[in-house]
Amino acid sequence: MIAVFGLIVGVLAGIFLEPTVPEALQPYLPIAVVAALDAVFGGLRAYLDGIFDDKVFVVSFVSNVLIAGLIVYLGDQLGVGGQLSTGVIVVLGIRIFSNVAAIRRHVFHA
Amino acid sequence: MTLEPSQSPAGGPTTRPYDDLLTQILAGAVDQDYVVAAQRRGDGGERSGGTPAFVVVVALFGILLGVSALKADQDRPVQAAERAQLVDQIHSRQARLDAMHNSLTTLQDDVTRRQAVLSSTLADEASLGDRLSALAVGAGTVAVTGPGVSVTVDDAPDSGSVPDGVIRDSDLQLLVNGLWEAGAEGVAIDGHRVTSLTSIRYAGRAITVDYRSLTPPYVVDAIGNPDTLPGRLLQSDGGKVWVELHTNLGIRFDIETSQSLTLPAYPNHRLIHARVMGGRP
Repeated sequence: MIAVFGLIVGVLAGIFLEPTVPEALQPYLPIAVVAALDAVFGGLRAYLDGIFDDKVFVVSFVSNVLIAGLIVYLGDQLGVGGQLSTGVIVVLGIRIFSNVAAIRRHVFHA
Repeated sequence: MTLEPSQSPAGGPTTRPYDDLLTQILAGAVDQDYVVAAQRRGDGGERSGGTPAFVVVVALFGILLGVSALKADQDRPVQAAERAQLVDQIHSRQARLDAMHNSLTTLQDDVTRRQAVLSSTLADEASLGDRLSALAVGAGTVAVTGPGVSVTVDDAPDSGSVPDGVIRDSDLQLLVNGLWEAGAEGVAIDGHRVTSLTSIRYAGRAITVDYRSLTPPYVVDAIGNPDTLPGRLLQSDGGKVWVELHTNLGIRFDIETSQSLTLPAYPNHRLIHARVMGGRP
């Protein structure tokens, strides 16, 4: 319950406070969102598995976002930023899909 | 990254060393950390989110979502404007290309037309040049060289006692006219070119050609066909008169053909008549 509340507050704050993202960090925003989504779905699946741990969730969320951003930053410096972001999105996308599939099995027992 | 075969603590799928990347990604989709943490706690239960850090992270996620959505929404009009601008540019460039194609076609037509004009002008020039050189021979404006006949005439040997034995200006005029009639292209008397404006007069005791006094014998050169020129000369009125002069009065009248005669140009050319080509006279 408190998680849903926090999410709603966060979305509202993001939309209405319009925090300015520094120009240098703007290219990494989409990657950060995908990485965060992966962590969130992983946490949701663990919750449905009955093994959720908020410390693990916090650490995995932060490290996911940071590592994804770091990989893309490295790619940008090496001139392969576009290809590396594609790779990161593919990997994270596959993880999200399989997590969602597990969640679906939990919810619908199918 | 080491890929040692390790049994998953929760009895989950085994990660084998030879699994390819996609299989690993699919198998490891659930964070093993949750499983490990649960094992460490030993109860296998869950520690539900309620700590401040968890709430902060969830709120952070919300902010990320919100900001991304907002940014994507803000970027959309800019991208649309850029796209519209590009489309406009494409259209304007295409219009320019079409205009250039049209202009190219027009210019090619123009070139074709001008080439036609040029070739007809060149043809005109060539024919006019031919005509000019043909006329120049007759008008005596240029020196000419070619085969012809050389007619040598002289007073009768006993001209002192026979006054009729002296060649008169009219005799020479008859001879020159006879040569023209016989088809001569150019005539000269003693090296003086004879044109349609040349005068042959009797002045004092000598014949003058263009006011230059000549003394007998006179040599009349005529350029023309050496095969036909002598015969036609003798058939002409002038030729008949000269045959009579020769037989009756003993005046010398020798016709020699020559393969190469050179007549000088008429020296005193004056422009008497002119008009603009194709214009008003």
